[in-house]
Amino acid sequence: MTTRTSDYGVAQERDWNALPDNAFRQLVRAEFEAHYPAALRFPPGRLRWSRLSGWYLRMAGKGWIAPNWPAEYGGMGLSPAKLLIFIEEQERWGIARFQDHGVLMVGPVLQRFGSEEQRRRFLPHILSCRHIWCQGYSEPGAGSDLAGLSTRARREGDDYVIDGHKIWTTLAQDATHIFVLARTAPEAKKQEGISFLLVDLQQPGITIRPIRDMAGHEEFCEVFFDGARTPAANLVGEENRGWTIAKSLLTFERIFIGSPKLPEYGLAMLENLARARGVDSDPLFRDKFTQVRLDVLHLGDLYARFADTLVRGEPLGPDISMLKIWATETFQRIADLAIETAADCGGLSGDVAMGAASIDALSIFYKARVPTIYGGSNEIQRNILARQVLDLPS
Amino acid sequence: MRDDTLTLLADAAAAFAKPDSRRIRALRGRPDGFDRAVWRGMAGQGWFSVTVPEDAGGLGLGLDAAATIATRLGYANYPEPFVAAAVLPTAVLARGDNPAPCAQLLAELCGGDRLVTVAWQDDAGALAAEATAVTEQDGVLAGHCRFVRVAAADVFIVAARGADGLALYAVERDRAGLAVERESAADGSASARLVLAGVAVGAADRLASPLCAPGALAHAADAAVLCTAAELVGIMERVLELTFEYLRTRKQFGKPIGAFQALQHRAVDIWIQKELSRAALDAALRRFAAAATARDRALAASSAKARAADAALRVCKEAVQLHGAIGFTDEYDLSLYFNRALVLCAWLGNAAAHRRRYGDLSAVGDGLAAAAAEAA
Repeated sequence: MTTRTSDYGVAQERDWNALPDNAFRQLVRAEFEAHYPAALRFPPGRLRWSRLSGWYLRMAGKGWIAPNWPAEYGGMGLSPAKLLIFIEEQERWGIARFQDHGVLMVGPVLQRFGSEEQRRRFLPHILSCRHIWCQGYSEPGAGSDLAGLSTRARREGDDYVIDGHKIWTTLAQDATHIFVLARTAPEAKKQEGISFLLVDLQQPGITIRPIRDMAGHEEFCEVFFDGARTPAANLVGEENRGWTIAKSLLTFERIFIGSPKLPEYGLAMLENLARARGVDSDPLFRDKFTQVRLDVLHLGDLYARFADTLVRGEPLGPDISMLKIWATETFQRIADLAIETAADCGGLSGDVAMGAASIDALSIFYKARVPTIYGGSNEIQRNILARQVLDLPS
Repeated sequence: MRDDTLTLLADAAAAFAKPDSRRIRALRGRPDGFDRAVWRGMAGQGWFSVTVPEDAGGLGLGLDAAATIATRLGYANYPEPFVAAAVLPTAVLARGDNPAPCAQLLAELCGGDRLVTVAWQDDAGALAAEATAVTEQDGVLAGHCRFVRVAAADVFIVAARGADGLALYAVERDRAGLAVERESAADGSASARLVLAGVAVGAADRLASPLCAPGALAHAADAAVLCTAAELVGIMERVLELTFEYLRTRKQFGKPIGAFQALQHRAVDIWIQKELSRAALDAALRRFAAAATARDRALAASSAKARAADAALRVCKEAVQLHGAIGFTDEYDLSLYFNRALVLCAWLGNAAAHRRRYGDLSAVGDGLAAAAAEAA
């Protein structure tokens, strides 16, 4: 066993990659099962930092907050195979995500495109959870056509001054910082005038307004920039090269949106629901259930193919988009069948008494609406596949 | 099996079997429905013995080797009945417990000299061996079998229920009391219905006793189901090639129709169906190879066929729509693939039948019960 040191965060207690896969899985599973609060498993929506801080501060204390970062930057330094295991175990146990854009996005961006000064200034606070980051990408006028964004950043002395309006910013209420795509060269072609800026949210020029969704949750926000300031030292990479940085993200992470774990959880819930309603051996239900069950089985088979690619150390190609489409639409079919099976209970919200059980069927129906929209809508994914994989003309 | 062996096999199959629609069209409606010379050529490639154990003179490879060949034959739209007259009967013969006649028939089959298939389905097409509508009493077979894909077979291996259980018998086509009725299939081939009106069989004809016959037949049927799914994957690959090429070249409103987003998205969706079928097939082949029980083999086979049959019909129907009127003509090659897909989707259980079988073999919640308990 070797102790690995880091200038940025807690030292890792050992080289995780040296462990056999199964031993590593057992070790991670044991930690999750022993310490993750049972009441927070498989929550119906995203949870606020106030409820998750206990767990994630524990993870930070163990040095497990950034499984995807190299050990030299204070991460767990996991190989692709070990990282897949870590995340599979998180999903299997129904561990809620906090607002983890600092770990998933800011960290990797600074490690690849940032300066040493920026890394020293920001990485330790991401690892300790003192800084919580959110993502300032979408705008009211720039959704699928993200490069059409119009938030402006102009240089004024040693600062950038930002004016604009971001939207669908997940859990900005919990965040201390935001990374922003802003236009720094209005006259340039749309992808070529965008910069990647790191901004402190705690300043007078910024207003955050939560948006209530149709399920009654407040998971995303609008963020208004009205003469907000950030030091020029918070520009990542070169000015007007932000689009390249934004595009480089979402490579490795793209596989997780296609993970079979959430649909598997949906199936288990559907099965409980059918039993509670007494229709689990009804032939009509069984045919529909077997159909979605095979959809999930084959989602797992497709996922394994891409996971193998990662484990071999090869990059994911644009064909990964099919995994997102199949995973998210399969989850929707399960959700459809859940409220159909719930019958008259399908209009009742929250935990609903069905037979001896108490089941919240609507929560997955609401939950299934969003993944086909975020991360590049499924229609955008189909455009990508048509052009880049099927080689159809434009 | 090692991936490089499969790659070599796939390359050899691609070199041997090329799409040649003129040949296929010429064979449609002919009594055999395929070319015996090509069949012997396939035998010469060693393809009929790929899954036969080495001590029985075969190559001893896994079912994924046979599936690799079947995929290519689907792609090239070969009418030669590789699955029905090689995969299916060799799997039975390798498991029979009457060594001498099994070995002899296996050798003749693998050499391409005799055409052998297996007959056990009743008029409703039940997949289970136990449903056979043929009985054996005092060495005489009586009853019928349907959906026998090789009407031209020289030898039918017939499943019959006797006093001591289900056994398998070799019945030559010219045996007294056997009538071979033909039903024409959508792809221009003939499907046979056998009527056995007192066919005398002897000890040498009994290839498998009740000790092994049910297991041998179940194993063979599931192997054939999996390889049929593989053939359907090959068909989908070729249909998608034809369709995408058409979308790139056919112009309307001054541009290639493949530039229209409505058509692009439909094209993507059928491509996903094919990719999913391929992933499901590969995983099912691994599960089949690792299976400890007949139930696990059946689950693997049904999962792959349910997916491939459902996907192939979708792909073919969408391909017609994306082509427009030309896609519905006999003259355009899509028709050959469409009609073959109809036959293979229905043969040995369609998608709905395999979903039902998968559901019945795995009670609701099987394998999920643990996850549900965890989540509760």
